[in-house]
Amino acid sequence: MSDILNKVKDFGTEIKTHWNTPAEGKYVPYKEYKDVVIGVGANYTGAKTLEYIGFWSSCFLIMHHYKLPYLTFSVIGLLNMPLGYITALIWWYVCDNLGFLPKKQERKVYLVYGLMMAFGLSTILFDYSRLFDQSGSFITMLNSFEGMNATACFKTFGTHFLYSGWVGARNIFWRKKLIPKYGRYKYGLYCDVIPKCVMVILIGWLPIYNIPDVATRVWVANLLFATYNVFGFGNVLEECSKRISPNLQERILVRSYPVKISHIFNSILAIILPAIVGELRYEWADINFYRWVIPVTFCISAGFTMYLSGRIKERMPQPPIEKKVQIKFWDGMLGVLKNKYMLINTVVGLIDALGNGMLPFATILYFYTFRLSGLPYSLLVALISFAGTPPDLLSPYFLKRFSYKQIMIFYQLSRAIGNAIIAIAMWTLGDNLALCGTICVVVLFFMEMTKTVPTTAGHDMGVRINDYQMYLSGERLESFAGIFGWFTGPITSFVGLIIPIFLLRYGFNSNWEILFFDGSRRNIVVVPIIVDTIGFFLMTIPYLFWDYDNKKQNLVMEVLKRRAEVTEKKAQEEGISISGGYKG
Amino acid sequence: MSKKEKKIKNTALQEEIHLDIPEDEIWTYQVEGLAAPHINKPYKHYNLKKALFVIVIIVAVSLSIYFSVLALMNDTFEYNETENGIEFTKFSNTGYLYELDIDYVSDIEYIPGNNNPKINFKVVKDTTKPITSVRQFTLNCDDKIKTIRIGAHVEKVDPKAFYSCWALQNIEVDENNPNYCDVDGVLYNKEKTEILCYPCDHDEYLREKYGYERELYRDEVTPEYEKEIQTYVVPSTVKKIGEMCFNYANLRVIYFPEGLERFETLSVFKLHERVDQWTTVPSLYGIYTYKGAEVTDTTFTTQDALGELYLSLPEGLKFIGSDAFSYNQNLQYMYIPSSVTEIGHHAFWDTCYKEGKELKGVTAVDVAHSEEQFAALTIGDDWVPEYDHLLFKKPVDIKYSSQRQVMPAK
Repeated sequence: MSDILNKVKDFGTEIKTHWNTPAEGKYVPYKEYKDVVIGVGANYTGAKTLEYIGFWSSCFLIMHHYKLPYLTFSVIGLLNMPLGYITALIWWYVCDNLGFLPKKQERKVYLVYGLMMAFGLSTILFDYSRLFDQSGSFITMLNSFEGMNATACFKTFGTHFLYSGWVGARNIFWRKKLIPKYGRYKYGLYCDVIPKCVMVILIGWLPIYNIPDVATRVWVANLLFATYNVFGFGNVLEECSKRISPNLQERILVRSYPVKISHIFNSILAIILPAIVGELRYEWADINFYRWVIPVTFCISAGFTMYLSGRIKERMPQPPIEKKVQIKFWDGMLGVLKNKYMLINTVVGLIDALGNGMLPFATILYFYTFRLSGLPYSLLVALISFAGTPPDLLSPYFLKRFSYKQIMIFYQLSRAIGNAIIAIAMWTLGDNLALCGTICVVVLFFMEMTKTVPTTAGHDMGVRINDYQMYLSGERLESFAGIFGWFTGPITSFVGLIIPIFLLRYGFNSNWEILFFDGSRRNIVVVPIIVDTIGFFLMTIPYLFWDYDNKKQNLVMEVLKRRAEVTEKKAQEEGISISGGYKG
Repeated sequence: MSKKEKKIKNTALQEEIHLDIPEDEIWTYQVEGLAAPHINKPYKHYNLKKALFVIVIIVAVSLSIYFSVLALMNDTFEYNETENGIEFTKFSNTGYLYELDIDYVSDIEYIPGNNNPKINFKVVKDTTKPITSVRQFTLNCDDKIKTIRIGAHVEKVDPKAFYSCWALQNIEVDENNPNYCDVDGVLYNKEKTEILCYPCDHDEYLREKYGYERELYRDEVTPEYEKEIQTYVVPSTVKKIGEMCFNYANLRVIYFPEGLERFETLSVFKLHERVDQWTTVPSLYGIYTYKGAEVTDTTFTTQDALGELYLSLPEGLKFIGSDAFSYNQNLQYMYIPSSVTEIGHHAFWDTCYKEGKELKGVTAVDVAHSEEQFAALTIGDDWVPEYDHLLFKKPVDIKYSSQRQVMPAK
């Protein structure tokens, strides 16, 4: 007993001593742990709240108010695809140079973005489809798209130009202004938070969902959501906290305790929000949810996030911006291809695409099998979410005891087995709601329990891959890594459309109530789960080639620290004022 | 792995390693077991690599776009040849088709030079290829088609063939069709023993028929309007209400015949009416059964024309499918007759709700059986209405061995 008391006492003394200054060999004072708890908590809660708003079929706003055909979202994705490829190239180049381009190139990029915006605006104002032969194959093809017509297609296409130009220009402007002061992960909060709050309010209050013609409703909604998406509010403080220390053990500690504890705010909200919704007259279908509940929740979270954002620091060993490696376009492209571990992740992602387009199984289970709403819904969701918390607190132990390779293979196998059980239960016991539902919930509980440690490992693997890339190329090339998606694009785009078309065949479209029909629900849910299960089995194979261990990572960090140290010293010798660097 | 090895492995995570890298080697220093850094150095075969890269990317991107277009392009009409003839499998509206003939294999032919997308096409039919069946969800959430005409050769129409056709007012069946018929725009089997589809927007057709210029919202509804537009009499020959038959219809009152045996899944699901341009609320408040009279006209005239009437479900009813009456919160009374042998899950889901402290809708269910008899039936989960109670759901009372309530005075 006295041993325990002594340990507690020592722990208290340790916290008191290193409240403002970190212990030797560590980088993060305990005060910052406290800031992580509240700051990341608020940011995570805000970002999670925004998940209720999205231009996708499973968003309650789209489901109950916009009522857009399911395949329309794939059509919009297709229309945006060609321009997306082109703008991605410029975007990667800008981002991986942190917005600092040679003057001449910067002017050129601004010009391109300006022209895109002008064209985009003109498509909104004028109907370019009228310039084409209305009986020609091009226009008839556009008219054949689900939920669209030629006019809506052109306007959607133009909206993407407007969006890409606007976002691209902002990207250069704000990165240059804010990264030197706030770092590369959280700078976006400072320029986006106010317009984001305004857009969140507008999304609920603008009655665009009342436009009677579906094609018009589609393009106007697309414009609204594109504008909303110009301003970000991602979970960036958590991203920042993943790079809070060059010390691997300290990184995992922060990830496992303060970050995990910070999620409790969202867990509480995840109980309260549906309970509030249960009190609304039309529950999730009540527009007041989007007029009041979401904006108020988001704005409060955003306020706390901004208050604490400045106190959470990223500590990646990196040269000062004035001395950073300038990444040329082709160096970026070819640089990421040298990263073996990114290749492994790409193959995993490719196999994972087998499940693309499937509906959220748990949501269907809660709403259409159990008919849950209000507090019972909240409690069940909370119970299942909580299942992952105790194992996550043991993450540091598991990550020491097992290799990342073992953890990830276990993760994929556990998903495969869990999904297989759910599929069997739903197929054979579909009309016995109590038994089938109970089996599904128990399996979901165990799947959640076995998910959090691999998730922590996965996050750390991602950070390590970027550290390794920085060692290889002098920059993290997080954006250029998107090129892997291009290689896998043909397969993912093809596979990802199979499930939506299959769903349509069994009656799933803009009216989700087909899921009340047992036969349709079974086909709509079970077959995609089976496909996903096969994917999880296959995903174990690439991880057999993962050999990036702790020793290699430590050596890489040493190289990065040394680079930062030498470049900073040289800059000082040359009398250059420096910003944004970190020696570790 | 031995304990010692494990310990070494574990401490590697925490150990501080110091590398003494000379200043001029910081960009080239290679960690053992990893690839060498490549920073601001020319690549070998640079141009060849670039060219290869570009070619692969162009091929990949082109394939992505091609596959996506291929998967998303819809023919307006899709058919499947089966052993029993031609099956109509999918219809994708051009955006400007308001009437649909299901008789022969059809295609869209565009009129060259006509730039008006609303009239620049015509539907051409191949009269050598008659359609014999219509698959489930052939029309799915279409919001343009107002009239469907079913041809003489159609032998089988799946009950879910015209799912959520929001603008559908009428289904007309060729009188020479030996399997199906329509009664004033509502689809039946030929013998009229089964009603298959009451179109979602049938009230619009009725308004036109009775000379109403626009839809009347809930608070504007007159007794005449309710009688002509929002009341339906199911013919006396009908034994079965088909799957999803009345779903989303704008009806306040339905008269069923005694002799009706089955309400299939979602057969009377979520009937609603408008309270304003944008909002709908549950509409169905009255379910009555008539007895004795031979009724073929589905228009309600007077209660006397229907013979003896009583409240709620018909005596002789055997089966109530899952979600058969769900979301009809305006219903006031529900009686389960003694003939019922099977009730599907959630058959009366969300037909009761709380407004303030007052319970509304189906606040209790009267059951003819005793509790023991009822327990022996095939009963699905949560069949009884539930309402929000202290943040949870509570089922309404079931009154066993009940007598049917008496029909209120006219």
